[in-house]
Amino acid sequence: MAKKRYPETKILSKNFDKENSWTFDVARENGAYTMFEKALKEMTPDQVIEEVKTSRLRGRGGAGFPTGVKWSFVPKDVDKPKYLALNADESEPGTFKDRWLMELDPHMVLEGCLICAYATGLSTIYIYVRGEYPLSQERLWGAIREAEEKGFLGENIQGSGFSCNAYVHTGAGAYICGEETGLLESLEGKRGHPRIKPPFPAVEGAFGCPTVINNVETLAHVPWIIEHGGEAFAKQGIAPDPDNPRSNGSTGTKLFGVSGDIKTPGCWEFEFGITVKELLYDYAGGPLDGREIKAVIPGGLSMPVLTADELDVPMGFDDLVKVGSGLGTACAIVMDDTCCMVEASENIAHFFADESCGQCTPCREGCHWMEKIFKKFNANQGTRSDLDLLEGLFVNIEGRTICALADAAVWPLRSIIRKFRHEFVAKMTPEEQAAEKEAQAEKARETAGVS
Amino acid sequence: MSATPPRAPAAAPKDVEARQPAPTPVAFPPAALKDECEAILSRYPTRQAALIPILLLAQGHYDNWVSPEVEAGVAEYIGVSDSHVRGVLSFYSMFNLKPAGKHEVWVCRTLTCWLRGAAKLRDTALEKAQAERAGVVGEDGKFLVKNMECLGLCEVAPAVFVDGVAHTNVTNEKLVELMDACE
Repeated sequence: MAKKRYPETKILSKNFDKENSWTFDVARENGAYTMFEKALKEMTPDQVIEEVKTSRLRGRGGAGFPTGVKWSFVPKDVDKPKYLALNADESEPGTFKDRWLMELDPHMVLEGCLICAYATGLSTIYIYVRGEYPLSQERLWGAIREAEEKGFLGENIQGSGFSCNAYVHTGAGAYICGEETGLLESLEGKRGHPRIKPPFPAVEGAFGCPTVINNVETLAHVPWIIEHGGEAFAKQGIAPDPDNPRSNGSTGTKLFGVSGDIKTPGCWEFEFGITVKELLYDYAGGPLDGREIKAVIPGGLSMPVLTADELDVPMGFDDLVKVGSGLGTACAIVMDDTCCMVEASENIAHFFADESCGQCTPCREGCHWMEKIFKKFNANQGTRSDLDLLEGLFVNIEGRTICALADAAVWPLRSIIRKFRHEFVAKMTPEEQAAEKEAQAEKARETAGVS
Repeated sequence: MSATPPRAPAAAPKDVEARQPAPTPVAFPPAALKDECEAILSRYPTRQAALIPILLLAQGHYDNWVSPEVEAGVAEYIGVSDSHVRGVLSFYSMFNLKPAGKHEVWVCRTLTCWLRGAAKLRDTALEKAQAERAGVVGEDGKFLVKNMECLGLCEVAPAVFVDGVAHTNVTNEKLVELMDACE
């Protein structure tokens, strides 16, 4: 009997294949804004936050921070205005899940924002959409106008006394503006240089005021949590590790994407727990004809690669960390046996060199160094000491900068040169290749001698 | 003791002559953008926050690039320095600081699109544009081809934008067709 396919669970994606799913009428027919009304009329803001905490919902933008906890950091009694900055600057390579949500169900996104606004007592929502997503911007503006007309945005919403406005803010092309404090700088009309934390945005964010920053997909989950309760959400997916008191598990559903060298790239929604292999073979159709999968970055570009032998691992926050990688945005990029890992490394290094904001020296200089070294290998001029130099660079870049962009550059590259060293050796000069061969033989003799 | 030879007058720093006079700011906003600029400004607690959306508008209005005169005009309107505006313009990849040709072609170069053949698309685009490299307008001033980092269209890679419109699963033939269709 054929193995049963891991089932899809359509919560965020329930309206994706409906005609005109982005219009108010279709969304409303499918329940849009009813959970916002429920929260407004039947729940206190604290109850909403408690429900989200109970759900163990973790941020879907890559970092996986517990959402309810983040909301509870927002001070209650302040004279200043408070803001929600919805992070829709989805610039992580290989990642397109938020675009699907914004284009196909902008009202669900907006409802999540409104519930968050009510829970944290804020009245202005900025949706920071990257400039390269014109359709997302158009659909979100459309949703905002419709919600205003129907009385779900604006002054005194549904007679509750709660007022809230929403605006789309357009980015202009910078990966770093997906970093939460880079986003805030950009929202304030500056270069997107990430800020040193603390102060954390929940206390001092946009315009010096308390600010909640959440990913699009994160907030799209919130209406379901209000409808079914945090406990029902926490029952889905992967429960926290009972042996690890700090584990939050990977609860609920998630949009998983696949792109690259694969037969049917796309985006599907599952409860956490599907393995990388199931996702790639049962849903994304497996490798292209006559090819074999060589390496997979499980979440965006910024996580360590998995080799073809390492794919039998659940797509979960903790599970992928356990095998030395990470969930990231849960949108996998697949490379097959026609892909040269050295050339791929150059491509990856170029991305980070290009997108480094330039504030911190290790990142600004280091990313270019790495790119140059990979270029040298691709000209068949690599040496063994270049690989050592790269290892040294990794140590001097990782963890030594204001934001995580530098770490994001190191992680995939370090894993590639460790797991695919032979491909780098094949691009060394003949003398270096001979020396490497000799060194390997020496190592083998030593090992044999010891045992 | 020999007399000190008279000191030659200090040579002017090399870049002094090359330095351009301060640009004359354009009157910003032009009538066509006035309402929209005011609507944008009304959304934020500070005028500066409106800078990026307004610069995008301005770029669209003034032939797809931001000249020093437009830059100065926007700076005056928003109430920030010219250098702040230049800093912002040079940070974000969607702004053009030089005349941008009649049509702008973005070719995604990041991993997924690269795996799906984007490098070849870029070469084709550059050849059609008669441009020596990405980011430079071609000889006839018709096309500006830009290498862009991930455009978020990975499930339908490789992706190309022509004048702000996304095209997906682009083949060489399709790209040639798209560029031929530009007048």
